[in-house]
Amino acid sequence: MRRAILAVVLLPAAGGAAAGVALTGGAPGWSVLLGAVVIGSAWAWYLVGRNWRSWAYTERQDDLLVVHGAMFRKLVVVPYGRMQLVDVEAGPVERLFDLVTVKLHTAAATTDARVCGLGPSDATALRDRLTALGEAHAAGL
Amino acid sequence: MTAADRPVAGDGATPGPGGPPTAGPPGHRLHRLTPLALGGNVLGLVAAFLVFGTLDRGTGSSGQMSGGVAPGLIVAGVVALLLVGRGFIAWWTTEYRVEAGELRVDSGLLQRRAKRVRLDRLQSVDVLKPLAARVFGLAELRIATAGTERSSVRLRYLSLPVAEALRAELLGRSAGLGPGVAEAPERPLVVVPHGTLVASVLLQLLSWRLVFVLVGPVIIVVSATSGTGHHPAATGVAVAVLVSVLIVLARTIWRRTTTLWSFTVAESPDGLRIRHGLLSTSHQTVPLGRVQAIRAHQPTFWRPFGWAMVQINVAGYAGGREAHNTMLLPVAPREFADWLTGRVLGGVDLGAVSWSAPPHRAALRAPLWWRHQGVGSDEHVFYARHGVLSRTVEAVPHERTQSVRLKAGPWERALGLASLHLDSTRGPVRVAARFRDAAEARAMLDAQAERARRARRRAADARPPGPVVSP
Repeated sequence: MRRAILAVVLLPAAGGAAAGVALTGGAPGWSVLLGAVVIGSAWAWYLVGRNWRSWAYTERQDDLLVVHGAMFRKLVVVPYGRMQLVDVEAGPVERLFDLVTVKLHTAAATTDARVCGLGPSDATALRDRLTALGEAHAAGL
Repeated sequence: MTAADRPVAGDGATPGPGGPPTAGPPGHRLHRLTPLALGGNVLGLVAAFLVFGTLDRGTGSSGQMSGGVAPGLIVAGVVALLLVGRGFIAWWTTEYRVEAGELRVDSGLLQRRAKRVRLDRLQSVDVLKPLAARVFGLAELRIATAGTERSSVRLRYLSLPVAEALRAELLGRSAGLGPGVAEAPERPLVVVPHGTLVASVLLQLLSWRLVFVLVGPVIIVVSATSGTGHHPAATGVAVAVLVSVLIVLARTIWRRTTTLWSFTVAESPDGLRIRHGLLSTSHQTVPLGRVQAIRAHQPTFWRPFGWAMVQINVAGYAGGREAHNTMLLPVAPREFADWLTGRVLGGVDLGAVSWSAPPHRAALRAPLWWRHQGVGSDEHVFYARHGVLSRTVEAVPHERTQSVRLKAGPWERALGLASLHLDSTRGPVRVAARFRDAAEARAMLDAQAERARRARRRAADARPPGPVVSP
């Protein structure tokens, strides 16, 4: 999905740079720009792939563990008993690709636990499991 | 859900509902003067306008002057009337009652709202006296529950004795003492002297950031006045910056000083009692078990004086404007602040914590300040400290940690470092173990998750769900 967004952003940039090269008859400035855009998009393509692969979550006995991020690695442990609510969200782009995000909220605003890019049925199943576990483990504040 | 709770906390289990609570029988109204107090600020403005208007006329300065005042006066009058009207509706439609395990507030004219607060979910109860209400001898009762600002309940306004009795009752019931308990006795711990408070507020503002902001304009202005400057435009800008910074500073100083004026901390069986305020006063009671996290902080320029402040995270106290709510102690000698922090955490000695520092290679990530990072933990609490010039010690009990996060940026990963964050509810305290060895951080994460799990289980065993009614 992010690759799609990336392509949407980068193609016009590459096109513009290529047009610049063509129009000026290969002026060095435009060629350098085109090269930078091509290299940049290749790198970004690679990063997006790594980033996508980096998303993972595990349901452990007492808590949910979410890992994500290729450059900036993050790992969150959310105890089931601490979950205040479980959100299932889908933005416009996500809906286009039929994906949803499951978001966990605790009493702390800084908890950033999301599980991205799930299929809708997986997401609802995960949500139901989490809410059930949350109720079983519920601890006040 | 609430219906199911009622039998548990029913009056039948208490020594007998015979002695009606001091707040009286169910179905109370707010105080009759509420509308006036709600419109109070603007009414005061109108009164001031009128007084100055007559003064003007009295001294016979000019008719034009009062002519200029009139439109403003009319607008203020209309606004005041509207506010008073709204206040009247609020007074007319609002009713509250304390039932078995909950406080119930019905309000609203067109859209009726019934708010119920489960008393065992109570986080803190504050009695506030805004200036306008204080004039009429009224007080606002604010009941914070876990959750956002919206889920807190404000009863505006009650007469002061009623508000205090209701607070005592709510806290008593929340602690499982049943209705009709008198306010628990308290033991004063500290009163902050006025001089110390003012000095501390001034010194706190004197930060490096301020020095950086002011150094340029000051140099320009000084060079201009000494006759060597030759940039009138730059001088103008510099003066403007200086003046605006000074105005902001004056405002901040005034606000902090008046809100924290004669800050008193006392200890009672139902929690810590905090009183403060010069014009608008506030009287908070925070049950000790509701403190989510705590920190003792020494701003840079306080250190020569050995002062420190103590701040807490309490669920339901959002940040922003309510920031002073999270203040447990605005200024005190450091030893006392440490002692109070330990006391709130259940009698630990901050001096006895064994701190462990990040590895040496963290110097490449945080050149100067890595040495001052440190973490420690014991059976009940996780501690972290940081700061080179200012010093901060933060602590969160294991059973209050919400989630645990591990973070590592590219540079940190290249060095094999990671930072561990312990999430708490919103507030000034953010506990983190920064720039640890990656493997160690991971081990700490697992250990902390396990400790938190055990602590939660212990707490759940010790305190069965639902309000406890003592025989």
